[in-house]
Amino acid sequence: MEVCGSSNVSLREFGCEQSLLSRPDGSASFIQGDTSVLAGVYGPAEVKVSKEIYDRATLEVLIQPKVGLPSVRERSQEQCVRETCEASLLLSLHPRSSLTLILQVLHDDGSLLSCALNAACMALMDAGLPMSCLFCGVTCAIDTDGQIITDPTAAQEKESRALMTFAIDSTERRVLMSSTKGSFTVHELQQCIAVSQKASEKIFQFYRDSVRRRYSKTLE
Amino acid sequence: MIGSVCVTQSPVSPSFLLHFRTAEPLEYHRSFLKENCRPDGRELSEFRTTTLNIGSISTADGSALVKVGNTTVICGIKAELANPTVEAPGKGYIVPNVDLPPLCSSRFRPGPPGEQAQAASQFIADVIESSEVIQTEDLCIERGKLCWVLYCDMMCLDYDGNVLDACVVALLAALKNTQLPEVTVNTETCTPGVTLEKRHGLRINKHPVATSFCIFDDSILIVDPTAEEESLATAQLTVVTDEEDRLYSLHKPGGTSLSGQKLQECISRATARQREIQKLINKVIHSVKTAQ
Amino acid sequence: MKDTPLANCERDFLLKAIEEKKRLDGRQTYDYRKIKITFGTDYGCCFVDLGRTRVMAQVSCELVAPKENRPNEGIMFFNIELSPMASPAFEQGRQSELSVKLNRQLERCLRNSKCIDTESLCVVSGEKVWQIRVDVHMLNHDGNLMDAASIAAITALCHFRRPDVAIQGDEVTVFSPEERDPIPLSIYHMPISVSFSFFQQGTYLLVDPCEREERVMDGLLMIAMNKHREICSIQSSGGIMLLKDQVMRCSKIASVKVSEITELIGKALENDKKARKAGGRCGFAESIPQERITALKMEESPVEMMDVTERANDIVQKAEAPPQTVPSPVVPVPGVGQVGQGLQNTWGLEDDDEEEEEEEENGNRGEEQEGKASKMEKYEKEESRGGDVVEISDSEEEEVVILHPETSDKAPVNTGSRSSSHQKGAAKSKKK
Repeated sequence: MEVCGSSNVSLREFGCEQSLLSRPDGSASFIQGDTSVLAGVYGPAEVKVSKEIYDRATLEVLIQPKVGLPSVRERSQEQCVRETCEASLLLSLHPRSSLTLILQVLHDDGSLLSCALNAACMALMDAGLPMSCLFCGVTCAIDTDGQIITDPTAAQEKESRALMTFAIDSTERRVLMSSTKGSFTVHELQQCIAVSQKASEKIFQFYRDSVRRRYSKTLE
Repeated sequence: MIGSVCVTQSPVSPSFLLHFRTAEPLEYHRSFLKENCRPDGRELSEFRTTTLNIGSISTADGSALVKVGNTTVICGIKAELANPTVEAPGKGYIVPNVDLPPLCSSRFRPGPPGEQAQAASQFIADVIESSEVIQTEDLCIERGKLCWVLYCDMMCLDYDGNVLDACVVALLAALKNTQLPEVTVNTETCTPGVTLEKRHGLRINKHPVATSFCIFDDSILIVDPTAEEESLATAQLTVVTDEEDRLYSLHKPGGTSLSGQKLQECISRATARQREIQKLINKVIHSVKTAQ
Repeated sequence: MKDTPLANCERDFLLKAIEEKKRLDGRQTYDYRKIKITFGTDYGCCFVDLGRTRVMAQVSCELVAPKENRPNEGIMFFNIELSPMASPAFEQGRQSELSVKLNRQLERCLRNSKCIDTESLCVVSGEKVWQIRVDVHMLNHDGNLMDAASIAAITALCHFRRPDVAIQGDEVTVFSPEERDPIPLSIYHMPISVSFSFFQQGTYLLVDPCEREERVMDGLLMIAMNKHREICSIQSSGGIMLLKDQVMRCSKIASVKVSEITELIGKALENDKKARKAGGRCGFAESIPQERITALKMEESPVEMMDVTERANDIVQKAEAPPQTVPSPVVPVPGVGQVGQGLQNTWGLEDDDEEEEEEEENGNRGEEQEGKASKMEKYEKEESRGGDVVEISDSEEEEVVILHPETSDKAPVNTGSRSSSHQKGAAKSKKK
């Protein structure tokens, strides 16, 4: 159960490209190792009367799997992503309007939900929507020996005893979203949260670097 | 309906309270939470009365009815014989489904299951898989040929918040109540013979119990939210734990962020709740056995 | 969400430009936009960029039972997803006219042209065949979705490898890619769709219309052709009359375009094959353009693990331990149990209702035969009584006051429910 600074505790290669699609108001593709998700955001725009909320914008999240139609699993992930975005977006600034976030899975090689969260955050930033904080997703797996693996690949996920995905906010590094599978102890949970908080620093730094790079020409 | 009766009976202060509740529901709740209690008289970490009845559906192989306050969930388990999947020839399978029909609340529309029902079904499926409440190997009758499928249908009859907790209790109690008939496979004809008189219960390994929380105004943590509290809350989370204090799910779909310390508080409360519910289920099961 | 409407002046401008043989993006009449073909990490995943139109195709396979009338042929399945990502006008899960049209055209282009050897997909005749599923996702809609989709679909099919199988008796073993190299599909020819849009009742013709041009066009002609100049499908839509000459001219242009595109696909496949053989990393991660300022990459990086364990221990230890004792549940009747505060609130019985309850119980006794139904009914009645309780309390001065009568009533209520429980129990045991 003891966690040591093994090589498992690392984040895979990261990549991100923003504004790569012409139609959406904001778009981003995020890559973690081989896992990659494409996100597009439309809005704020006109909202259907049936979905209108009088004091804030309506956010819809769609997750499109690569093969076949969205299933119950995607629905449950959509709920997680939507509520995470709702917590960080300042939706009350755009009452009676609609925001649509579409996430297209391009390749799943583990840590899909965290990659989707990261892509979502980058796309929301690209769309220039007002947010109270940024968020990032970190997936931790606990293997059969009780070792923690961050950002696991699909193979590592399969062998793991427990899998946890957290969304961490950028202001206080607290847990915005949590979704777990498998069984684990309280200690393991708290360790994973602590590890995720550490890993989130790297991801937020990456966000910062990519935004700095993006606006480097505008600022000078 | 209740509202109209009250107004005609005594039009002074209750009507004010009622209007206050309708006009400013958030303020109404805040004024209670400020005093560390809730509109229905509960403390912040207090559950509503949980009532459990088992064997409620005589035609099902196992069933249970659970009430948490006004929230009512009935779970029926239907066992069917099927072929095991090619990937897992030595295992049976469990198919859970949560139904939130329009009858339980006006917020649900008829038609295909909505997002909440789908998310709840997925949650229950995850809990079953993570906790291994039943070893799916136990459901196998003959490897690669025949196995049991347990269709666990949970239907909400009255929605007043915290449907996940009620579903998990109903499911667990119904599984403990399930009696499967004995099946023998005729070696010559390869046809299964079912002896309906001889029945045996399932082996339940774990007792996972869910405890749901709501966060009010980004800071106040309340347990077992009602439907009204759920709609006003800024975040919800559900902890699933068992008798050995292992966690099977920390499901927080989003909303206000929480620190590790706060989460730990939730887990402690969930542990106490697990003991309570396990005791309840065991006692109820026992009462049926002694009555027979 | 609705699509942004096209202004009249914009429409006039576009048409006028077309009359002057000019296009918005500076192309000539017969020019295609730049086509870029990239591949994903796994086999059968292909991205096609046609200008700013972007499409992804993914091929997958599955062993299924064949169709009864064709017991030794594999099954091809095509699905074009008009994801709302491509355009705000697309809605998820709804079959729009456009999606039906595109699906139909893709099927005609690839299935009905018999470009894939479906007989080689048979594993056990009449029992197991491969079903090849092609999912085409539209990612960005900037016109001419059909051509992009057809290029993506056929390239993905060429790129795809299905797992090898072995048959022993009646058992079918599917080998993982590590055990045996996966097998490519056998493809006879590559039909590619080329779209022509007509303006002013067919006076003007443009190849590869962009989204703006599609909105002002009068008619569309789609020709699917392979590099042997065989027409696989031809479809005209939009209700314009075309002369024989016009169709002939289009088919000539199509044959040129198709041979160009086929060559490009061949090169792309060749490149990918080389890259995979060299063992280098391939796929989407590598296709990120590094030179753009909108893109950034970060190498693999370790996570600091200092004081993680301490922090976790700290939190766990500081937390309040859960209470060791828990309230004991009440079991009023066999099969029913309650736990928690204010037991009488929901299923419990109010003192006032006790007599009525007794009567009802007696009634129930008389009608034992009704069994469960009557029991459920009773629950409902009690339920409504529970509602009564709330009503009474609501009419009290303060909401908080309610608690007191309830707590004081607790003891008698419990005995009450017990007394009735006897009857219930009796009724139940009789029923059994």
